[in-house]
Amino acid sequence: MKPTPPLPPEPADGRKYWRSLDQLTETAEFQQWMEREFPEGATEWHDPVSRRHFVKIMSASFLLAGLGLAGSGCRRPEEKVMPFAVQPEGYVHGQPQYYATAMPTRTGAIPLVVKAQEGRPVKIEGNDKFPGGHRGTDRYAQASILNLYDPDRATRFVKNGQTVTRTEALDFLEELARKFAGNRGAGLAFLIEPRTSPSFHRLRQVLQQKLPESQWFLHEPVDTAPVNVAATAAFDAEAQLIHDQWGHTRRPRYRLDKAARILALDCDFIGDEDESHTLIRDFAQGRKLSGPTDAMSRLYVVESLMTLTGAQADHRLRTPASRVAAVTARMAMEILKLAPPAGVDVAALTQRFAAAADAAEGDAKWIAACARDLVEHKGRAVVLAGHRQPIAVQWLAHAMNAALGAVGQTLELYPALSSGANPADRLLPLFSLAKWLNDGKADTLVILGGNPVFTAAADLDWAKTQRQARTVIRLGYYEDETAAAKLCDWHFPLAHYLESWGDARTHDGTLVPVQPLIQPLFGGLTELEFLARLAGETPANPHEIVRETFRREARPGNFEEEWKQFLYDGFRADSAPKPVESPFAWAKCRPETKAPETLSKERLEVIFHRDYSLDDGRYANNGWLQELPDPITKMVWDNAVLLSRQTARELGVKNGEVVEVSLNGRSVKGPVWIQPGMADYSLGLALGYGRERAGRVGNRVGFNAYPLRSRETPHFAVGATVRPTGKTYPLACTQDHWSMEGRPIVREANLEQFQKDPGFAKRLNMHEPPGGMRPLYPNPLEEKKQKAHHQWGMSIDLNTCVGCSACVIACQSENNIPIVGKDQVKRGREMHWLRIDRYYASDPARQKDKSVWRREGRQQFESWIDDPQTVMQPMMCQHCESAPCENVCPVNATVHDEEGLNVMAYNRCVGTRYCSNNCPYKVRRFNYFDYNKRPINALYLGPLGKRKDDEWDLIKMLKNPDVTVRMRGVMEKCTFCIQRIEQAKIAQKVKARDSGDVVVPDGTFTTACAQACPADAIVFGNIADPASRVSQLKRQERDYTVMEYLNIRPRTTYLARVRNPNPAMPDYPAIPATLSEYATKSGDPSLHSPADAAPGEH
Amino acid sequence: MADAATQLKLPPPVPPELERVPLVGNNRDLGWLSDKIAGIAEGKTPLWWWCAFVPSVLAAGLLGAMLVYQISTGVGVWGNHHPTMWGWDIINFVWWIGIGHAGTLISAILFLLRQRWRTGVNRAAEAMTIFAVICAGIYPAIHVGRVWYDWFLFPIPTANGNWPQFRSPLMWDVFAVSTYFTVSVLFWYMGLIPDLAVMRDRARTRLRQFFYGLFALGWTGSNRHWSNYEKAYLIFAGLSTPLVLSVHSIVSLDFAVSQLPGWHTTIFPPYFVAGAIFSGFGMVLTLLIPLRKICRLEDIITKRHIDVMCKVTLATGSIVGYAYGMEFFIAWYSGSPYERFAFLNRALGPYWWGYWLMIFCNVVVPQLFWCKRIRENLLVVFIISILVNIGMWFERFVIIVISLHRDFLPSNWGYFKPSWVDIATYLGTFGLFFTLFLLFMRFLPMIAISEVKGVTPQADPHHPLGGAKANGGSLG
Repeated sequence: MKPTPPLPPEPADGRKYWRSLDQLTETAEFQQWMEREFPEGATEWHDPVSRRHFVKIMSASFLLAGLGLAGSGCRRPEEKVMPFAVQPEGYVHGQPQYYATAMPTRTGAIPLVVKAQEGRPVKIEGNDKFPGGHRGTDRYAQASILNLYDPDRATRFVKNGQTVTRTEALDFLEELARKFAGNRGAGLAFLIEPRTSPSFHRLRQVLQQKLPESQWFLHEPVDTAPVNVAATAAFDAEAQLIHDQWGHTRRPRYRLDKAARILALDCDFIGDEDESHTLIRDFAQGRKLSGPTDAMSRLYVVESLMTLTGAQADHRLRTPASRVAAVTARMAMEILKLAPPAGVDVAALTQRFAAAADAAEGDAKWIAACARDLVEHKGRAVVLAGHRQPIAVQWLAHAMNAALGAVGQTLELYPALSSGANPADRLLPLFSLAKWLNDGKADTLVILGGNPVFTAAADLDWAKTQRQARTVIRLGYYEDETAAAKLCDWHFPLAHYLESWGDARTHDGTLVPVQPLIQPLFGGLTELEFLARLAGETPANPHEIVRETFRREARPGNFEEEWKQFLYDGFRADSAPKPVESPFAWAKCRPETKAPETLSKERLEVIFHRDYSLDDGRYANNGWLQELPDPITKMVWDNAVLLSRQTARELGVKNGEVVEVSLNGRSVKGPVWIQPGMADYSLGLALGYGRERAGRVGNRVGFNAYPLRSRETPHFAVGATVRPTGKTYPLACTQDHWSMEGRPIVREANLEQFQKDPGFAKRLNMHEPPGGMRPLYPNPLEEKKQKAHHQWGMSIDLNTCVGCSACVIACQSENNIPIVGKDQVKRGREMHWLRIDRYYASDPARQKDKSVWRREGRQQFESWIDDPQTVMQPMMCQHCESAPCENVCPVNATVHDEEGLNVMAYNRCVGTRYCSNNCPYKVRRFNYFDYNKRPINALYLGPLGKRKDDEWDLIKMLKNPDVTVRMRGVMEKCTFCIQRIEQAKIAQKVKARDSGDVVVPDGTFTTACAQACPADAIVFGNIADPASRVSQLKRQERDYTVMEYLNIRPRTTYLARVRNPNPAMPDYPAIPATLSEYATKSGDPSLHSPADAAPGEH
Repeated sequence: MADAATQLKLPPPVPPELERVPLVGNNRDLGWLSDKIAGIAEGKTPLWWWCAFVPSVLAAGLLGAMLVYQISTGVGVWGNHHPTMWGWDIINFVWWIGIGHAGTLISAILFLLRQRWRTGVNRAAEAMTIFAVICAGIYPAIHVGRVWYDWFLFPIPTANGNWPQFRSPLMWDVFAVSTYFTVSVLFWYMGLIPDLAVMRDRARTRLRQFFYGLFALGWTGSNRHWSNYEKAYLIFAGLSTPLVLSVHSIVSLDFAVSQLPGWHTTIFPPYFVAGAIFSGFGMVLTLLIPLRKICRLEDIITKRHIDVMCKVTLATGSIVGYAYGMEFFIAWYSGSPYERFAFLNRALGPYWWGYWLMIFCNVVVPQLFWCKRIRENLLVVFIISILVNIGMWFERFVIIVISLHRDFLPSNWGYFKPSWVDIATYLGTFGLFFTLFLLFMRFLPMIAISEVKGVTPQADPHHPLGGAKANGGSLG
């Protein structure tokens, strides 16, 4: 007899509304409830006692007893189980709930589905129902959940450095609203961040109407608006240059999925441009191969920094940022000559940038061949210019797009989103505010978000300027540099987007809701509520504000239904504007470019770039992002002065040496990192580090590059000098060795090779051991495997993986992976279950040293690193069928299950670490300390190192309850998200009832990494089902196994990478560099027969 | 007949240059031997003993402190890391276990092989073995992440039916080392019984009489006792002999069973045993050369003993050298680039100094023992024996650290550095070792009195000085 399971859980994929229908009835309780916004018992959050009370209610079993040695001694910790006072309808304890929401970004929003456990948001996932299948997210979205539980976030209302009650602070706002309503807002200025929320802009209009004399300013340290400005200049014949800025009416959207040839001009669209997750997805579409006959896009990159986009390039031209204009000019000249647009006087046009074009003479061949290739693919080629480049360069890029027939094909133009759409209410930049403040016109300055004291241009001297206002009011997520008591009179805590009602528009203009999953933990206000209060609306209810905005979108009469649908879907279908027909305005086109300056070691170029982890510094207190290895440098917890080998050699500096970089009389000090592939005489300085008031995680991590950044040259500047200080600074890097040493780990071929020999990847297999040998001691699981319903496996496409690292953070979030701190990473003890290996390769002829056993210390000075090819490989537990870790574990802590998983029994593990030694992929991670229990700066204090209580409370709320939190002394590793597998199996069993159909259908669930991948490069599924996606991928000829010769038969296999270089290019490599490295070591792979090495059956 | 008897020709006397050097010098008689050996453990504690004992105890205390720190805080206080998950913990484990090989080899295998010279050194060497195994045994017990679950490694029938994993060499280690330790202790104690009786009989205080008497198990020296004793000794020797070979073979399987290039080698078991004997004799020499001087035991531990041990060191050192060469040959011959790299990386990688130090100490230096003059120069022998200990430590370093730090995927490569806790723990094990050894020599006869007496001429009835015939000789 089968036991009846108690309370069958619902399938895990059902999404819920935030409110049940009953609550929408117009009862008195409901009205009151609405006013409260959240259920009773969850208000007044600044009081820690009631916060704890809330936590007790929301999590039924919450550890309250003192932990650790002191206090409770060795007794079992006391647990208190608190039942719900009122059971929410449809709530099943232990069942996660999913809500659709969105994370607002600078120029759009990322549609999300967020998982909540017992009322706590625990995991952020992309909304796969979103049109276009934006299942993937970026690393910032994945990590943003940690900010919600950041103990250092603004938790109180502050007046002149003193905590005041919430009521007092709100009364002040009310008083302020009355005061300015009286004088029409005279002397009132707002400083806001770019955002796309329609409600926000509606409120802004309301405010502007009520307070017509108020001033509105916009500040964004990494401003991608120039991209829109350039598009407006290029495509809007009516647009006028006002002051020194264009209002923008156009937004470009690149359709890389449709492009056969892509030219990126200093445009890191994979890494630091906005909406990179969308661009990655589109780019990956053009790189996906199902067989040798498929077409594949070709990527040309011209850049100075070594970026993620450069790592994907088929051809990469390394040139300083200040010289990109010259390369662009020459490229434009070539293209306009080869494909002259009708009715345009090309000669007159090109005359304007001929001088600049001459400066790119040195790369004439490269440019000519590239231009020819682009022109040959007219209509399917696209040119992207990055936001760091001046408008002129972007303008030229659009001229090329126009000449290449890209407009309307691979380049779509959309009307600008609300911000700045109307030139009348265009927002003025920060320096206008500075001028206004310094003129003494300011009475009250309201700063919404942003951290201008840290991020403003150095020549504005913002800290002083900000103080010119009589009253400074700030709504901020952190009490950061801007919130310092001397600079700021009032500070209001801002709510996290997971605590807020709001809305936003995604990059393509689709309206998405921002739904809260939890009551603001510390009583923070949303921007909407704050603005509404300033507009004199009390009670200011952001939920109602958003509904009010949506009312304009919805059909009258059907509002409630559509509102529910909106919240359920997480987007408003068909709300995106259509692309506008917008021909290039040739008549207006006058991009002025000058010949670039010559760089030398006395006259260097500095590039200020958005950091791959911290963005502009806003994520400085996010431990996950601090510990996320930079996808290129693999450095953690630091930024560095990136420079090329030759520059370093000329300056006489080496890795880790602290140098002083001076520019226009200002200087910063930072350690040097020699970065392969950097342009010579360029210095790359990542922004966002060196924070003074970030919080306990981010304070004084790295060095601050903002002091070098001036208003005139926010992105790059020429004329810097470098002086070595003779000091060294330790940098923590997760991958010390750059070369793959000719080993067939990442396998690559050029497209022609792949077409000629589709099975090239398997030719790199080693010739031993002979296949088909029967094992002496057959695995007892083999038989069970035949009967199991599922066999789990994974396929990773190295052709589409761009190394963006969203998967790393997704895994960390899903699997409760702790951070360990810089010191531990330096010792090689980082805990990431999933890492991304990055190797550089070059033509062996350039690798003069014959030795493979040289010291790492020297690779930074070897000439082969100048123009390397870069490869990325996500590496995690490969779930070997005959896993070498298993048979060496003396306590049976790591064992195999019948579904092919290599599972870890943490309770059983004593921590001999033998399994890690015997793992050829070294993907196992050991808890050297109590990383979860101890703060990272007190690991060596043992039981004396205690986390603060506020940290404890919040850290516990963040954990995924379906995954064990590991203690010290235990080995851990990727589990293929076994908790998700089990949930899916249970849900399927419940659904199957008596039908016996217990096989989980393909695509019902996937692992956290696969879910986060914007490129869809990771595919997980049941390989026992031949129709599953993963089975199909594994049948591809590019499929190979890393270290197949060990005969350990991993369940994770890779699809080999294919490069698509152009034979006409001067830097055309006949075979990829990794392959030629392999060939020098192991012989020509085309002579190996793939049949020799019989791979283990899967 | 009397004439015939007088005419019976005695074999011509052996010329003096061919005469075997006697095992006990200066023709010392049996009484002198008893007095001499028992005297070390009796009488007033000499100053030098205190000078050695106090630092040793302090160092042992340091070991305790380090263990408390490591267990309370985590394995992270050591230097091992990803990818070198084993560092000084396992190096020192294997090193101490290796040292613990000489004693049982001397007492068991050499006994079976009728090597009479073993009597002069076997007791001290066995004690050294036991103390070294104690030091070694600490490491696997505490190197794990969760020490309090060490019992998971023992096959204890618990209610939840969890058994250890018998396929794991670490499991075999647990059995091999514990069996070896148990048998070694029993063998050593059994050999002590007649001498404990001597100590009892010579004891002047009640306390000493009581305790020696307790452990002498009522030994009277009767023929029956001697007969049982000799049989038991033979059985123990027979039992111990395979253990000497098995324990280090199994330790070597910790490495050989894995698939890491540099570890995955079938030569490991014999090579490890040879290395262990090599290091064990190195340590015996390191201990006995100064002791012989301090305790004036030159007549019992003669130059001949030293000479023989030097020869064993030379032989095993050469075997080890051969193994090093063979590893390289096989790595080349295998054709596997990973294997080749692992070995080239040993000799030329970042840790090249460790490898060449090992080659110098283990292969080059012992070759000096071909020269008799060097074998007779005790200072040189002492220095070489220390170099052998250092070399064998580096052998384990080379195998463990150099193989692990650069394996299959270059992205994993790292560089191992020990932490101060690693170093302090290692020094602490020396403290424990010397504390135990000093206590041993202060309270127990350091040399097997009865056995040494057994190899003197006086004990040989056929010898002119032997037996009852030797009227002139004093029986003491």
